[in-house]
Amino acid sequence: MAVTDAGPATEVAKRPSRLFKNLASKIAAVPMVLVALVIFVGCTIWTIYHSFTRSRLLPAPEKWVGLDNYERLWGENRWLISIENLAIYGFCSLTLSLTIGFVLAALLDRKIRFENTIRTIILYPFALSFVVTGLAWQWILNPQLGLQNVVRSWGWESFAFDPLNNAEIVIFGILIAGIWQGSGFVMVLLLAGMRGIDEDIWKASRVEGIPAWKTYIFIVIPMMRPVFVTAIVIIASGIIKVYDLVVAQTSGGPGIASEVPAKYVIEKMFFSQNLGLGFAASTMMLLSVLVVLIPWAYLEFGGKKNG
Amino acid sequence: MAIVAQSTRYGKVTRTILAWAVGLLFFFPIFWLVLTSFKTDADAVKPEFLFFFTPTLENYLNMTENYDYWRFATNSIITSIFATVFTLAVGIPCAYAMAFNPSRATKDVLMWMLSTKMLPAAAVLYPMTFLTKNFLGIYDTHFLVIIVLSLINLPIVVWMLFTYFKEIPKDIIEAGKMDGVNTWGEIREILIPLAWGGIASTALLCFIFCWNEAYWTVRLTTTEAATLSKLIEGNRAPEGLFFGRLSAVSAAAVGPIVVLGWFCQKQLVQGLTFGAVK
Repeated sequence: MAVTDAGPATEVAKRPSRLFKNLASKIAAVPMVLVALVIFVGCTIWTIYHSFTRSRLLPAPEKWVGLDNYERLWGENRWLISIENLAIYGFCSLTLSLTIGFVLAALLDRKIRFENTIRTIILYPFALSFVVTGLAWQWILNPQLGLQNVVRSWGWESFAFDPLNNAEIVIFGILIAGIWQGSGFVMVLLLAGMRGIDEDIWKASRVEGIPAWKTYIFIVIPMMRPVFVTAIVIIASGIIKVYDLVVAQTSGGPGIASEVPAKYVIEKMFFSQNLGLGFAASTMMLLSVLVVLIPWAYLEFGGKKNG
Repeated sequence: MAIVAQSTRYGKVTRTILAWAVGLLFFFPIFWLVLTSFKTDADAVKPEFLFFFTPTLENYLNMTENYDYWRFATNSIITSIFATVFTLAVGIPCAYAMAFNPSRATKDVLMWMLSTKMLPAAAVLYPMTFLTKNFLGIYDTHFLVIIVLSLINLPIVVWMLFTYFKEIPKDIIEAGKMDGVNTWGEIREILIPLAWGGIASTALLCFIFCWNEAYWTVRLTTTEAATLSKLIEGNRAPEGLFFGRLSAVSAAAVGPIVVLGWFCQKQLVQGLTFGAVK
């Protein structure tokens, strides 16, 4: 015990001098922290507070209703579908973007002709907004215009591929567009990471007779951990933005089959003047992000803190 | 790479073909979009005109004449450039402080900032709209759009800059201190030239995000500061209508960023590599 306590104790002793030593650089970081704190946290608290009231339009005579809004929210089918869709989309988008991005990166890493050109082409969708991506894929997945029609004209008359009009699989139609947009960037990021890995590691694994795929999984991927973290952060912020994609592709249809939470909130707040419910929904989104994010973040960053 | 020696010629050809097939697959939707933008609205919905049709500039002419494309484009350019510059101006000192003078809270602060990026924008949207419209009076101004774009991109910018700056040996910065250079001098004279690749690729990424942002800009603007995202939003019609016009608007909206990307992608890839190398 005494040994383990020694570390933090000396740290504490040094602290006052440290606090002033880097004063200039600490001041440099203040604006950012302050702005984020005031605007984001301020507005969030405001939202949470109003989720317990029966506000319809602002400024409104607020009436405290406790958990009423939450009860109504969880009783509503539309909300449940939204949650389910986001969960499916989030999980699939994360795993598939990483897998596809990694496979493509491994493919390009092996000295392909015109690598630069191919890389640029695959990266391009990332420069397109979700709105434009959604529109382009809406046309491709359209049964009369797009893929289904083209395949049928080749002679396969019974071919059917119409995900956007099928309530069961509509979220996967949206997923295709999302992955098309994002995996190119993941590829470039991971390719950059792979290029940073020492050639000697490849030589050593070849000498040992380890097959290439095993080297990738057990040696290369663990070494690329920081790159993966950046990739996951960028994919995750894309998952939050799926709203644009849904609106452009299906507007939440057919029926309410492809609703997502962000769309639900916007609809309640801006179109059906039901602020309390909208605030309750956004508070739930906030809560679920925290529940998933905080344990992960502490596992990821907590371990390295003393390193 | 080293494995090349091991692989056969046959394997290399297969991989090249495979890579090209994937490339074409990725390229096709963009190609389709551009192709459709040269069709009339009537032709665009006819499958028999998929590849063979009489090209027309009607959609583009219509867009510039009736929809004031250039005003939206100017707004997009102004807001994206200023937001990127502002974000970097705040982000560089912040990442500098975190990378070179880490305290025990640095990782926590960084994580906390990143976590705000994950939080749903919907939770802040209404209060922001309400505040800016009724109290601050900055609704639908360039100023507001720039501030909002900067704020949503700051966490990722700081995160990326931090990973680049971490790679720079501390000794170089310390040496500057010995020579009596102050903090601003260190950032300007030493840090920025050294991390130029990383900063440039971060800036490009930030610019792309600003340009494409729709969730906020569509709702916080009406006419004065409306960006290209708003123009697309305004031209959206129920399924099957005005495909030609809509794809022309979309193509014109992403056009500038695609051209910019063509010139900068090498920089972007190099910058990313720079950050990834340990």
